[in-house]
Amino acid sequence: MSQESREPEPNLKGTLVSVFIVGLIIVVMWVAVYLLYVAR
Amino acid sequence: MIAVQDRKLALWNIGVAYVAFLIGTLGGLLQVFIRNDALQLPAWLDYYQILTAHGVLLALIFTTFFIFGFFITGMSKSLGSFGPKVRLFSWVGFWVTLLGTVMATAMIIAGEASVLYTFYAPLKASGFYYVGLALFIIGTWISSFALVGHYRVWRKNNKGQLSPLFAFMTITTIIMWIIACLGVVATVVFQYIPWAFGWTDTIDVELSRTLFWFFGHPLVYFWLLPAYMAWYVIVPKILGVKVFSDSLARLSFVLFILFSIPVGFHHQLTEPGISNFWKFLQVVLTFMVIVPSLMTAFSMFATFEIAGRKNGGKGLFGWFTKLPWKDIRFTSIFIAMAFFIPGGAGGIINASFQLNEVVHNTLWIVGHFHITVGTPVAMTFMGLTFWLIPYLTGRKFTKSMKVLGLVQIITWSIGMVLMSTAQHLLGLLGAPRRTAYSGYNDHPSAMDWFDGLLTNHVTMAIGGSILFVSAMILIYIVVMTMFLSPKAVEPKDMVDFPMAESDMSRTPKWLENWWIWIGLAVLLILIAYAIPLSHMIQHAPPGSEGFKTW
Repeated sequence: MSQESREPEPNLKGTLVSVFIVGLIIVVMWVAVYLLYVAR
Repeated sequence: MIAVQDRKLALWNIGVAYVAFLIGTLGGLLQVFIRNDALQLPAWLDYYQILTAHGVLLALIFTTFFIFGFFITGMSKSLGSFGPKVRLFSWVGFWVTLLGTVMATAMIIAGEASVLYTFYAPLKASGFYYVGLALFIIGTWISSFALVGHYRVWRKNNKGQLSPLFAFMTITTIIMWIIACLGVVATVVFQYIPWAFGWTDTIDVELSRTLFWFFGHPLVYFWLLPAYMAWYVIVPKILGVKVFSDSLARLSFVLFILFSIPVGFHHQLTEPGISNFWKFLQVVLTFMVIVPSLMTAFSMFATFEIAGRKNGGKGLFGWFTKLPWKDIRFTSIFIAMAFFIPGGAGGIINASFQLNEVVHNTLWIVGHFHITVGTPVAMTFMGLTFWLIPYLTGRKFTKSMKVLGLVQIITWSIGMVLMSTAQHLLGLLGAPRRTAYSGYNDHPSAMDWFDGLLTNHVTMAIGGSILFVSAMILIYIVVMTMFLSPKAVEPKDMVDFPMAESDMSRTPKWLENWWIWIGLAVLLILIAYAIPLSHMIQHAPPGSEGFKTW
């Protein structure tokens, strides 16, 4: 089997945390409007 | 530098886009003052007329002409100069689109088409308004086929090769656009035009709305995908890195062909003529669009992090400070992306069946599209304008223009935060959209909506005014870079088209097999629409006569 030479993987820890923050914003906004819906 | 004839074609498209932008934003300014009861219109001008002009000229005309200007430039740059036939058809497409635009705009100005941008039946405009709309769409099809022709010539000459990323993305957007337009063409040609000219007495309202939204939702992606193209292809070049992943970028685009069309029912969740099952199915398909959207978000953050770390950024977020914040080409697009985070989240709320009950037909929706098409898309186009026009005209983008560009972007952001936040919150309280000023008969509940510091018509008006000032700064920049700025003579003054390198060595070839994606898109559309549409036609309620409420 041939061994493919690969470039070292970039450090993307900040990206991971950033997309989690985006996900959190989505969830928080959704839950806020959901609670408003339930309250009405 | 691309061929002179291609530059001229692109510049005409961008020029028309900004004329529409000028009139459209003026309409926006008038609206916020009318809703604030601070402005009384003369008898010959009507709020709904202005609202229609604002929506049509900004959401449809500005975006479409700008998009074609961008496509033409990028396709000529990435695939080579247009041949004579491609050029001819691009011009024919441009003039037909413009003819449709002029007809529709004339009808709005004449007070014959105050039917708002969604032109819902049974509101009835002059038949010539609908003919104008049809010509507009046909014109874009001609321009689209010209670009597809250019792409096919390239493919023929480069057998077995993947096309450059910009061209791939252009063709993806065009495929989606052509399929999407089938809905609006069907309703305009077979329903609205015969009805408006009096050849038929009534119109099937539910069917017309369904066919409209078959088009209306992918229209959102027709605005958004060119902005994504800038994010995927232009931004990495500005940052000095390669496209993060060529395969990811292509996959996310083809997923938009699949999931942006069979989802129109999420705009019709409150309508009685569609059963809950079909609404739910389309809500699920709508949620699939989140996948390529988050792939794009991931790809963007990765691009930023790689670029920031290359410039010496350390730690978890050190890369963030190392991004080129003083470069207006980048900052504008970054802010545009940031606005899309709450914009996209709001979209998920809108499409969430029950949650739609909270926001439907409220000012929330108006706030929503101002932080989706009104900022992420529009501000990306502004960020492109700063270099695209000088690139096409061969003029300098001077230091003072750069400063003005920054002022423009900042004012747009501030104005939009004020206006859009007010609209979102007022909408949550229950304030309706699409209405002129209303005192609500001094009803205490309604009066309460407008009492807060942010939930206030004055806040909205201040935001709208700042936006208008920003729009005028942009028009100044456009006029300067198009006609008046000094010509770039020295190589250092020449403005370049920043197109990033994309490593295609590991990209699977099947991603560019269009028949797979068109086939799957048709299948999904049939699953989502065939049965409910046939029910709608078979069990059609009595049609409605037309109404002219203005």
